[in-house]
Amino acid sequence: MRILSKLFLVSSLALPVSGQAALTVFACEPEWAALSEEIAPGATVYSATTAKQDPHHIQARPGLISKMRKADIVVCSGAELEVGWLPALQMKSANPKVQSRKQGLFFAADQVDTIGKLEKVDPTMGDVHPEGNPHLHLDPYRMEKIAQSLAERMAALDPANKDEYLANAKKFSENWEHHIKRWEKEAAPLKGKNLVTYHSNFDYFLQWLGVNVVGDLEPKPGLPPSSQHLASLLSMSKKTHIDAIVYASYQDKKGADWLSQKAGVPAMELPMSVGGSEQSKNLISLYDDLIKKLLKVTSSS
Amino acid sequence: MPGVNSPAFSTDFNSLPSNSNTSRKSTRKRWSYSRIATALALVAASTAVQAEEFKPNFSLILDGHYKSANSALSEYEKGFGLGHVELGVSAAIDDLFYGKFTGVVHEHDNKTEFETEEAFIQTLALPGGLSVRAGRFLSDIGYLNGQHTHSDSFVERPAAYRAMLGSHYYDDGVRLSYVMPTDTFWTIGTEAFGGDKMRAQGVADPKSVGVYTAFTKIGGDFNEENSWQLGLSYLRNDNGASATHHEEHDDHGHEEHGHEEESGHNHSHDAKFTGKNTYIADAVWKWAPDGNYKYQNLTLTGEYLQTTDISDTIKGNEKNEGFYLSSVFQMTPQWAVGARYGEFKGYEAHGDHFHEQKLKESEFMVSWSHSHFSTVRLQYTRQTGDGFENIKNDIVTLQYVMSLGAHDAHTF
Repeated sequence: MRILSKLFLVSSLALPVSGQAALTVFACEPEWAALSEEIAPGATVYSATTAKQDPHHIQARPGLISKMRKADIVVCSGAELEVGWLPALQMKSANPKVQSRKQGLFFAADQVDTIGKLEKVDPTMGDVHPEGNPHLHLDPYRMEKIAQSLAERMAALDPANKDEYLANAKKFSENWEHHIKRWEKEAAPLKGKNLVTYHSNFDYFLQWLGVNVVGDLEPKPGLPPSSQHLASLLSMSKKTHIDAIVYASYQDKKGADWLSQKAGVPAMELPMSVGGSEQSKNLISLYDDLIKKLLKVTSSS
Repeated sequence: MPGVNSPAFSTDFNSLPSNSNTSRKSTRKRWSYSRIATALALVAASTAVQAEEFKPNFSLILDGHYKSANSALSEYEKGFGLGHVELGVSAAIDDLFYGKFTGVVHEHDNKTEFETEEAFIQTLALPGGLSVRAGRFLSDIGYLNGQHTHSDSFVERPAAYRAMLGSHYYDDGVRLSYVMPTDTFWTIGTEAFGGDKMRAQGVADPKSVGVYTAFTKIGGDFNEENSWQLGLSYLRNDNGASATHHEEHDDHGHEEHGHEEESGHNHSHDAKFTGKNTYIADAVWKWAPDGNYKYQNLTLTGEYLQTTDISDTIKGNEKNEGFYLSSVFQMTPQWAVGARYGEFKGYEAHGDHFHEQKLKESEFMVSWSHSHFSTVRLQYTRQTGDGFENIKNDIVTLQYVMSLGAHDAHTF
């Protein structure tokens, strides 16, 4: 009896989540909901935000607390993108499963290197992230690594379905690599183009495709475009060739439109994530649509 | 709001085997065995704990203002003044506990006071949905009470809060709360407090645990753009009913008598209008286009507070009550406008009878926030009423609230 109970105890400590039917996933952004569905198609997946909502500015609202209360795993970008609301949700939902970054709290930024890390941060710099740029779902190579890590994490939390998660990650990866080759071919004409962006949202994507960012509409990260700053971008446009101005699906288009008109440069809204445009229904069509839109907006120049 | 970086290990409370056929004795033995095993596992895990980074959050809130005139039931006097200057430190202590400290610097009657507004611990890893908080903290009754004043949209709390809860009620005690596993958010909680700040005048033998609360909140999203929350709270105050004696009240015409003198020694955060039973109902509705709060959003809030059984010695059904309705519209990322209307009616005990006091307050504000961390606010307040000192028709306040350090949480 003793031995039996000891065995039981040890095994239940080692495997805190027993073989439940499926995981319940709370994703902070739609891209992580999409990736979770690739790895765990049977899971119940909820996305806390849409591609029309700036994830810096989400409210820790009751609807999100009740969703996190029931989650087995929380999948987020990390690198402080959700710092304004995620800790409040964790505390208010009182769900012990999703408190630790080694258990049910999965930060994509913990799995890969981020770009734009800062040694020193002071508040005069605006909303900068010392842990680097958190919009890393737009780098396909990092995405592949994150998919693998997510599958491993899900397998650790739900060992009964371990094989399925790992197999799905492998399948995702093979398919993804095939698309990466295609995307790199299709996006070749974008190389060397000069863009003005709203914020550092597309830095990973543009670095991957060799597109230059020559300016941001925001004077400092997190601060709205000021008329003074827009005027300085306009005068810059006279010296530096700008191919296009782009902004994310949750960003205000006024600044982009103003500069577009004054500088005679096309402006375009880009989907920030799955659901950010009509065409971006999953991760692959999100990348497809981003490349298609960038090709279109830069083709005129 | 601090990051909850709780380390790797969490005790699984459901992991103990249950077997209904085992005898009591063997059950006990097994329990002690499993405790030892758990303790050993915890010790083993604590070495791994070091690996997770420890990043306490530090924040300093600077809050100051210029006010054109004195006003009724206000903490702030005419002229330049400081509001809630706060220093906060918070972090997950280990995998089970989170801790927070908030110290507040007050200017009161030209004296600088430092007081502890929050010093609590909270559990992080109780079984699903349960949490316990202990120490000094803000009571979770009503909508505004659990929030920090520096995140408010107006210079001071509504008149009903200032009169009945001492602006915001915090105290030494313990809270147990539970989040239901429902699709619609539903939480219930109960608290016990010392209750010194809510003690009525003349209570001869006050109880050391004087205040008990019970509250529930439900909420959810109508759709992507609209979210709501409703709350009901009850506060039982065993030391809340006043006890006055006729013989003390020999000089009827003397208004500065009794209560006024006593409360002069009291701290500004003590509630002046108390009773045995307080009920609060609150409602919040928020809207943002596409649910994107950055550019535009609207918040509508309303609360009603009622306190009954306000005196042990004076007969009558008089009750203290008040409400407010508030609407704040953030028009652009940096500009917001708001309007709030509130009323309060309360009774002060004087010997064998009550003095009725009434206050109506209309407030309008415009605020500009350069970033998350800095806000400058201009507010116009119009007060009318009876029985209070300094009821003033027109008050203009210019205020700044700025935070250094940790990013403020976007609480609902």
